[in-house]
Amino acid sequence: MTIVFLSFNLFSQEWHYEINCAGTGVQGTYLVEVTSYGKTVDAAMAQMKKNAVHGVLFKGISGKCSQKPLAGKAEVENENKAFFDKFFSANGDYEKYVIDDQNTNMTVAKVGKREYKVTKVISVKKDMLRKDLEKAGIIKALGF
Amino acid sequence: MKRSIFSIILFCFVLSLSAQEKKPTIMVVPSDVWCNQHGYMTTFDNQGSVQKVPDYKTALQSDADLLLVIGAINTLMADRGFPLKNLESTLKSIEQRMAEDNMTVSKTSGAELAESPLDRLRRTAKADIIMQITWTVNTTGPKKSITYNLQGIDSYTDKQIAGAQGTGDPSFTAEIPVLLQEAVVTHMDNFCFQLQSYFDDLVAKGREVSVDVRVFDTGEMDLETEFNGVELTEIIDEWMNANTVNHIFNKSDASENYIQYEQVRIPLYKTNGATMDAESFVRNLRTYLRQEYQIQSKVMTRGLGRAILVIGEK
Repeated sequence: MTIVFLSFNLFSQEWHYEINCAGTGVQGTYLVEVTSYGKTVDAAMAQMKKNAVHGVLFKGISGKCSQKPLAGKAEVENENKAFFDKFFSANGDYEKYVIDDQNTNMTVAKVGKREYKVTKVISVKKDMLRKDLEKAGIIKALGF
Repeated sequence: MKRSIFSIILFCFVLSLSAQEKKPTIMVVPSDVWCNQHGYMTTFDNQGSVQKVPDYKTALQSDADLLLVIGAINTLMADRGFPLKNLESTLKSIEQRMAEDNMTVSKTSGAELAESPLDRLRRTAKADIIMQITWTVNTTGPKKSITYNLQGIDSYTDKQIAGAQGTGDPSFTAEIPVLLQEAVVTHMDNFCFQLQSYFDDLVAKGREVSVDVRVFDTGEMDLETEFNGVELTEIIDEWMNANTVNHIFNKSDASENYIQYEQVRIPLYKTNGATMDAESFVRNLRTYLRQEYQIQSKVMTRGLGRAILVIGEK
């Protein structure tokens, strides 16, 4: 079971990625294996963090330790388009929710004439992400 | 002048307190299966038949893993906006209250506190939502893994409203407490989402409660007694139909001596803004029966979700 999503990048303007559970992360984080696609390895790499946060928020994580999307429903993205356009922009806030260990191995494969896929395990600070989006009024707070 | 301002402030404060929402209480308990497997059961004589019930006190005093799991769940749930009642503290406070009650006597007459057998029976650790936890340690050669099962059960409708189950990855080296902690962390988010859906459903469709109607054995009246040519059962059915959200209720069983209503959807709030629970809903029925038909009745409650109206006398 692999979730394939279209990855938003400069070349295709679409989200195109896969996100799977990579085990249990430290408390407050999800450990995910993200596969990003791009016309170059660098382009795919550049999308990795965005894809991880986007997947945790809107698609959920598949695999043995599957998790539902933090945002609850996919419509949240369209309903708050302006917020998420800024959030996922070049210097957007998404980056502070990702722990990308540079020492972690990544796999690179050429999958088409002009397409590469890069797979890497990274951590997403999901508790912090949820709380910040609740504070911003983007997602509904849990609780009574 | 100062006094009247103070009175107004005090009045507003009291009003705001009374209008605050009653929140369901949640408590984590080990499941009966887990208690049985680990020998934490006790027996009692229920009118001649011996029954086994979980002995939570011994379990908490003897099993460090259980404390760890309950502690981890309590922390994670509180962090997600669902503060929990602690089983160990609740058991302690019940014991403390029992000891104090036993010692309490009137200064003038020496009378002891009134307590019915029902009061004694009800003095157990309980919550509106029980999170029932079971885990087993699987061993395959040197490898160990944990199978974990967490069920959220609405105590009064007995429905499972949330759940999380799974077996973690086998490990050669990790200790059992580490595997347990990992299992709790892995499954908690999905469990909380389901719990949240349940609360959202309550907000949209009304609170689901159960209502029982019983009759005191006085011989004067039962549910087939007629008032203006209409049986009491029909009068109560009509009232339920008029007062439930979208007329949703299920009359699951009835006779001349009792009626059992399940899946009764009651409004979340009263007209004054305070929260409606099963007791206040049934009190409205009691008031209606007394005012319209001069019927005396007694209301008994079982937490927020279940109330019993006993017809005949108080």
